[in-house]
Amino acid sequence: MGIHIIVCIKSVVLDAPGGKIVRTPDTTTINPFDLSALEVALAARDELGGTITALSMGPETSSLSLYSALSMGVDRGVLLCDKTLAGADTLATSNALCAGIRLLEPYDLVLFGTRTADSDTGQVGPQTAVGLNLPLVTQARDIVFQENGLEVGAECDGFRQRFAVDLPCALTVAPEAAKARDASLGGIEDAFAGSIETWNLERLGLSPDQVGDAGSPTKIKGMTPASKGKQCDFITGSIEEQADKLLEKLVNAGLIQ
Amino acid sequence: MWLAQSNINPDNRLKSMNPFLTEKHREVRRSVRAFCEAELAPIAKDLDQEARFPWEVVEKMGALGYFGIQVPKDLGGAGMDSVSYVVAIEEISRVCGGMGLCVTVHNSVAVHPIMAFGTREQQEKWVPDLAAGKKIGAFCLTEPNAGSDASGIQAVSLLDGDHYVVNANKVFVTNGGVADTCLIFVRTDPEAGPRGISVIVAERGAPGFVVGDLEDLCGMRCNPVSSIRLNDCRIPAGNLLGREGMGLAIGLAGLDTGRIGIAAQALGIAQAALEEGIRYSKQRSQFRVPIAKHQSISNMIADMATQVDAARLMVYRAAALRDTGKPFSKESAMAKLFASETASTVTDMAVQIHGGYGYSKDYPVERYFRDARVTRIYEGTSEVHRTVIARSVLGKF
Repeated sequence: MGIHIIVCIKSVVLDAPGGKIVRTPDTTTINPFDLSALEVALAARDELGGTITALSMGPETSSLSLYSALSMGVDRGVLLCDKTLAGADTLATSNALCAGIRLLEPYDLVLFGTRTADSDTGQVGPQTAVGLNLPLVTQARDIVFQENGLEVGAECDGFRQRFAVDLPCALTVAPEAAKARDASLGGIEDAFAGSIETWNLERLGLSPDQVGDAGSPTKIKGMTPASKGKQCDFITGSIEEQADKLLEKLVNAGLIQ
Repeated sequence: MWLAQSNINPDNRLKSMNPFLTEKHREVRRSVRAFCEAELAPIAKDLDQEARFPWEVVEKMGALGYFGIQVPKDLGGAGMDSVSYVVAIEEISRVCGGMGLCVTVHNSVAVHPIMAFGTREQQEKWVPDLAAGKKIGAFCLTEPNAGSDASGIQAVSLLDGDHYVVNANKVFVTNGGVADTCLIFVRTDPEAGPRGISVIVAERGAPGFVVGDLEDLCGMRCNPVSSIRLNDCRIPAGNLLGREGMGLAIGLAGLDTGRIGIAAQALGIAQAALEEGIRYSKQRSQFRVPIAKHQSISNMIADMATQVDAARLMVYRAAALRDTGKPFSKESAMAKLFASETASTVTDMAVQIHGGYGYSKDYPVERYFRDARVTRIYEGTSEVHRTVIARSVLGKF
């Protein structure tokens, strides 16, 4: 039977022409910080057998990111899509994801990226883990499956940590954990021969005041473009050190994986 | 760029700015572009300069299904449609024309004829390794004295027991230096004129199979184009594709399909030149403004964008017709003619926009300019395509 891994992914906005966010297939893509979580799941399934479900919340366009995940080899894609889910802050998003994940039981592992490239709060993974009462390790860099759980390596504030974690558990996966595989053309063909399941609020068993704008204790009061002042950073050290530092900056900025 | 808003239904092409693309095709574009930008873009200039065939990338492309794009899954392919195929070729060629050439020739005029005319036994023998990129295919028709006039070939093949004894001198063989599985056009009946031509599959390593020197070409330099000679080469009679005398029919069927691939290749090169032209014209200042603000340059950009867009619609239309089982010979000829002429024009304009820098190997447009030129020559010259199109438009009179 193998393991069941749920990977929560987000469709993020690539571009906001004229400062206006319009979610179209051309302006959205799978959150680059979610790719390492997908790869960790795929590698684990390849080794241990089992299934991977990719779960996302968002408008219809988000289904394209789920198709991208299916193209990489994920087995099932579920989109939480309902007008009442719109305008959610991170807590309301976590409420919806918790409900979706409960409907996907039984599972062994819930994976998230560490953050998203558009809103960059880093809150949804931890909040969802709390909502599900799951043990959580953040910034996971290496994951070893053991008989009764996981051994997880993480890095924080310049320290390397190792954790033993019981299953089921949740992890936020650092970009350094794995380089995502490319989708094969056959994988894309298979993905689009299948379909994405769409679950509405009724299916989730939630009320409108628990999700979306109504369920969000934080409200965006205003949004204006930040100053575009260019900042020049001097990178010092040997050529090798400079290259390493530049690489780290680009990875941390989510520009490369 | 390709699709209007809210086009989510994977089969909904009606809201699309390009009516031939579905969401699946968008995913093909996204995926192939990401792969090529990561794996090919950093080395494309060196591959051209060193005339080196990138085996390390070919291996990865093979694992991702690029060498069996339309081959059914049960033979190890990706099982995709023609539109997916042209999108993939366009994206590979946008980054490296020579590799776009390798992949399109392999898929359309080596693998496709085996799928279309081969027996199940022949398909099972050759196609899985070809689809996986473990073996590379080639189409060996052109000879020193036979190009546009395919019926003028002089290669001969005589049956001797259960083997053909083949003598052939094939030139300008795309992939020739690395090809394992070669479709050789030969005369099996020297007295029968065009009806005496057949196709025999020769495999590298057979005694008498000789790969000649690589051509030192103007463009597409990473592709090991070479001559291939067969000297009293004994090939099992079971390697005959179709029946004796079917050679020209097989060739024409392969070229009908191949034209779409070459058109897609030309389109990819043109797209790359357009992007570089736009980038440079916004960045280069003369008379204290970016040169894109000068009308002579912006007019060029407008013409380039319009021609590339028109070429794209023609290429996708030909592929979509093929996918729906409708006749596509005229449309594929038109697409190949227009896309290859567009590639030449647009790459020339991109060089002009770059001025002196465009003539330097420090900028990629000079490579695009050299790569584009041959798309008007191979897989049927522009002149032959005009003949094909005119014949189709004028009919018999």
